Amino acid sequence: MAKWGMVIDLGKCTGCQSCSVACKAENDVPHGSPEEHQQQRAPFWHKVFAVSQGEYPTQKINLIPMPCMHCEDAPCIVVCPAKATYHREDGIVIQNFRRCIGCRYCIVACPYGVRNFNFKDQVSQEYHRPDLPLERTDKGIWPFPQRVRGVVEKCTFCFHRIDQAIREGKKVGSDVVPACAEACPARAISFGDIEDPNSEVSRLLATRGSFRLREEMKTEPKVFYLYG
Amino acid sequence: MEINRADSKDKAKHGRAGVSRRTFIKLSGLAGAAVTASYAFRKYALAATPTSESPGSEFPQVEGVVSEQLIPTSCLNCATRCATRVRVTNGRAVKITGNPLSQVSEGENCARAHVGLQVLYDPGRFTLPLKRTNPVKGRDIDPGWTAIPWEQALDEVSERLKTLRDSGQPHRLVVFHGLNTTSGEDVIQRFATAYGTPNVISDAGFDNEADKSGQWLADGNYTQSAYDLPRTNYILAFGASILESYKPLARSLRMWGKIRRERPNRAKVVVIDPRYSVTALRSDQWLPINPGTEGALAMAIASVIISENLYDIGYIENWTYGFDEYKALALDIKYSPESVAAVTGIPTDTIRQLAREFAQTKPAIAWRGRGATSWPNGSYTSYAIFCLNALVGSIDVPGGVIYQENPPYRSMPDVTEDDIARAGKAQPIIDLRKTARFPAAEVVSNQAADSILEGKPYPIEIAIGINSNFNMLAPGADRWDRALATVPYYVHIAPFPGEMAEFADIILPACTFMEEWGYDHSPPGSGFAEVRIKQPVVAPLYGTKSVANITFELARRQEGTIAQSFTGIGNDAEGFVQYRTSSLAPWEEFRKQGVWVGPAYEYYKYGRIFLTPTKKFEFRSGNLQTLLLRAGQSTGGVATLPHYEEPEFLGDPVNYPLALLPYQPLMSVENGSQNYPWAQEMFLVMHGQGWNNFAELNRHTARDLGIRDGDAVWVESPYGKIRAKARVFEGLHPGVVAIATGQGHYAYGQWQTGIGINPNEIIGTDYDSLSGQAVFFNTRVRVYRA
Repeated sequence: MAKWGMVIDLGKCTGCQSCSVACKAENDVPHGSPEEHQQQRAPFWHKVFAVSQGEYPTQKINLIPMPCMHCEDAPCIVVCPAKATYHREDGIVIQNFRRCIGCRYCIVACPYGVRNFNFKDQVSQEYHRPDLPLERTDKGIWPFPQRVRGVVEKCTFCFHRIDQAIREGKKVGSDVVPACAEACPARAISFGDIEDPNSEVSRLLATRGSFRLREEMKTEPKVFYLYG
Repeated sequence: MEINRADSKDKAKHGRAGVSRRTFIKLSGLAGAAVTASYAFRKYALAATPTSESPGSEFPQVEGVVSEQLIPTSCLNCATRCATRVRVTNGRAVKITGNPLSQVSEGENCARAHVGLQVLYDPGRFTLPLKRTNPVKGRDIDPGWTAIPWEQALDEVSERLKTLRDSGQPHRLVVFHGLNTTSGEDVIQRFATAYGTPNVISDAGFDNEADKSGQWLADGNYTQSAYDLPRTNYILAFGASILESYKPLARSLRMWGKIRRERPNRAKVVVIDPRYSVTALRSDQWLPINPGTEGALAMAIASVIISENLYDIGYIENWTYGFDEYKALALDIKYSPESVAAVTGIPTDTIRQLAREFAQTKPAIAWRGRGATSWPNGSYTSYAIFCLNALVGSIDVPGGVIYQENPPYRSMPDVTEDDIARAGKAQPIIDLRKTARFPAAEVVSNQAADSILEGKPYPIEIAIGINSNFNMLAPGADRWDRALATVPYYVHIAPFPGEMAEFADIILPACTFMEEWGYDHSPPGSGFAEVRIKQPVVAPLYGTKSVANITFELARRQEGTIAQSFTGIGNDAEGFVQYRTSSLAPWEEFRKQGVWVGPAYEYYKYGRIFLTPTKKFEFRSGNLQTLLLRAGQSTGGVATLPHYEEPEFLGDPVNYPLALLPYQPLMSVENGSQNYPWAQEMFLVMHGQGWNNFAELNRHTARDLGIRDGDAVWVESPYGKIRAKARVFEGLHPGVVAIATGQGHYAYGQWQTGIGINPNEIIGTDYDSLSGQAVFFNTRVRVYRA
């Protein structure tokens, strides 16, 4: 079984946010509003964060694209009282809307702040997305394309793309990648099997210096960053 | 389908009436019970609330994919016009991706491309032609719109146009155009020519005309420079935010990845800009320069390169003219690194380091952008920076400045002109281009407002604005408000009610670029030519019409020579695109692929790229000499040489100590609207802020002024004041206050009205003396707590 991971090259990233907006389009994530922005309630499954250090004129700001880290030792899974969040066999951390009770323990537990609580009803006409695979309708674990208020949502590594690619015999990592990786104009985001030594992600990790966010927490994230 | 919809409404009703899941959890008092509860109440929780009629509600809410298409078309959220493919499911556009066949951006798009979906389904769009009932025009005055049928609207506009033309005054029509497709621009220009008006005013004068004239001074090409980005090894960017606003943007973003990490030799990038832009952040070195002094730095770099004999002697001896005079000027004490360090604030050693690196890392590019050239001395600064490329031989070499090939569209038959048209076109153009005032100018967009207000050289009777929003875009925006209010008849053609539309007598609702036929190409950048199709991904919503189709219909209604000029080139937008691109590829193939790519670029075309009197690259501009002589102006001294002039600021430094620096963030959409939630919520990536813009201040400046982050402040120039939220930011020269453009809309839209501020409202009106480029950076302001 493949273990999916992502490598984001900060030396190539241009901070354009194509990844974040493509994620919204792909996954039907509702846009926020000025009020939600103010209250930090605007839903983002993927967001580019600015990290600032130092002072003028030698300050250094870094822009860091952040999907879910899909931790191997994921605090969100440990704390979930409803078993609504769990690992798939391929290592993707999944949120099951139908099991989620909206307690938000996972949001508190996540060291990366990549989980979102859905505060609002879906504007159905605006977001109805019949093209998303059937597993994401109310017949499967994902009650999409009609969203559910009062549950926690997060990045899925676009598992619907991965699953479809595998069904169709395409190669994940080259033919098919998550929406953020596909949209990156600088081609800074690579995706693939981190346990396969021949994959692009493994090659990058073997040849370049990399780090993971909050490594000291030993959450073993599967999103790696290459130094800029 | 009907049943489905009724069903969902039914579910919604239950959802509202039923016990919510959270209430249930509270009642049960046991978290453990909640697991079962979430199943028990699933069907209520799943129900969605239908909203009021939003665009797209006409689409069937069916389960599963009934129809799916991937339609190749192209973007128009900025002038790069990238090739895209739009996924259309059950008649609704749901996702935009790049077209892998495009070579300019190697199939990539920037973040703006995705926003096309929200441009298409913008709930604020016009649905029908509108006619004004309130004769009083002005900002925030309700025009009293009343909807009229298309036929009536077109007849009315035609009638007006015809009456004006029949009176022998066709030049009293002015056409403003903003961001349109290339095909749309071609049709508009053709209409104006046949009608007989010389007054076609694009928005280019607000963009980078001084960049263009800088190259024209040196080599006779009045164009934005193209840089061979993927092959370069060193970039010296003067006021050009390559990763935010410089076009073709998606190409720069793609090539950035390539030059930084996809080759064994990583290109070095140095950014010279008072603002720590995203480009500066991702570069190797940021040099916060004193505002408006980039020309001095360019001359000092030349001075070091020449004095240390680092220049490309072979190139200079064979292909340049005027080097001795340029050399003498550059070696003047005024341009010594020591003198220039005092002017620019960049240390002497750094200047020497830049010059040596630039000359010794081949191929290198000196890249200029609006930040450096949108100044009263802009053309000369632009010329001075551009000359650095010639100094190190980076002209038409791999990795240097290249010369963009234009696509070979099939040419159109000549416009049929009658005497009225000929007489009209012989009239002077209202923007004073190519006069003694703006000798080199191709368009002076901002001057048009003053000319209209003064009624000089003649009064304007009819104005047509096509996808234009000059009231937002122009410095001294209020002049445009007043100018448009005085035009007796103003026709606005656009998909949405922007600020300029408020002044219209009649509105013709155009469709968006997602619904129209067209062809497009990027601004110079790739070298080789590339054309993309625009084809409707969905039928125009609400029966709106494309700009090209509206123009064709108006031309037909004018009859006579105008109608004749529009025959034989296809009878409508689709036919026109088919006609013009028939020289490129068979129609069906072009439609299916969406992209036509020209032959590979050829370098070293020294025999034909220099359009100058000497047929060489000129360090002393013969082209300018000719113009100045014709205008009766002096050509002595440094008038035809690249040089630095101290920038003239508007506002005295005592009362207005800071320079206002407007900048365009990537998420500022260029079509004249910002009513797009995706673009709004990611607006300022550097600040992690959306739905706003700020008065950004250096920490030291803010401390001196007693301003803290988040304070409400007034930013006041001699021309007005605006209230903003202060942002204390490390990445800014202490002498400037930076404000992002793209916000401050007031005319329409739930997602933009009342959000942020428009710095153009307090920027004074000034021009680059040669190109007529509107100056954006020389207004001084003071900032104080509100």
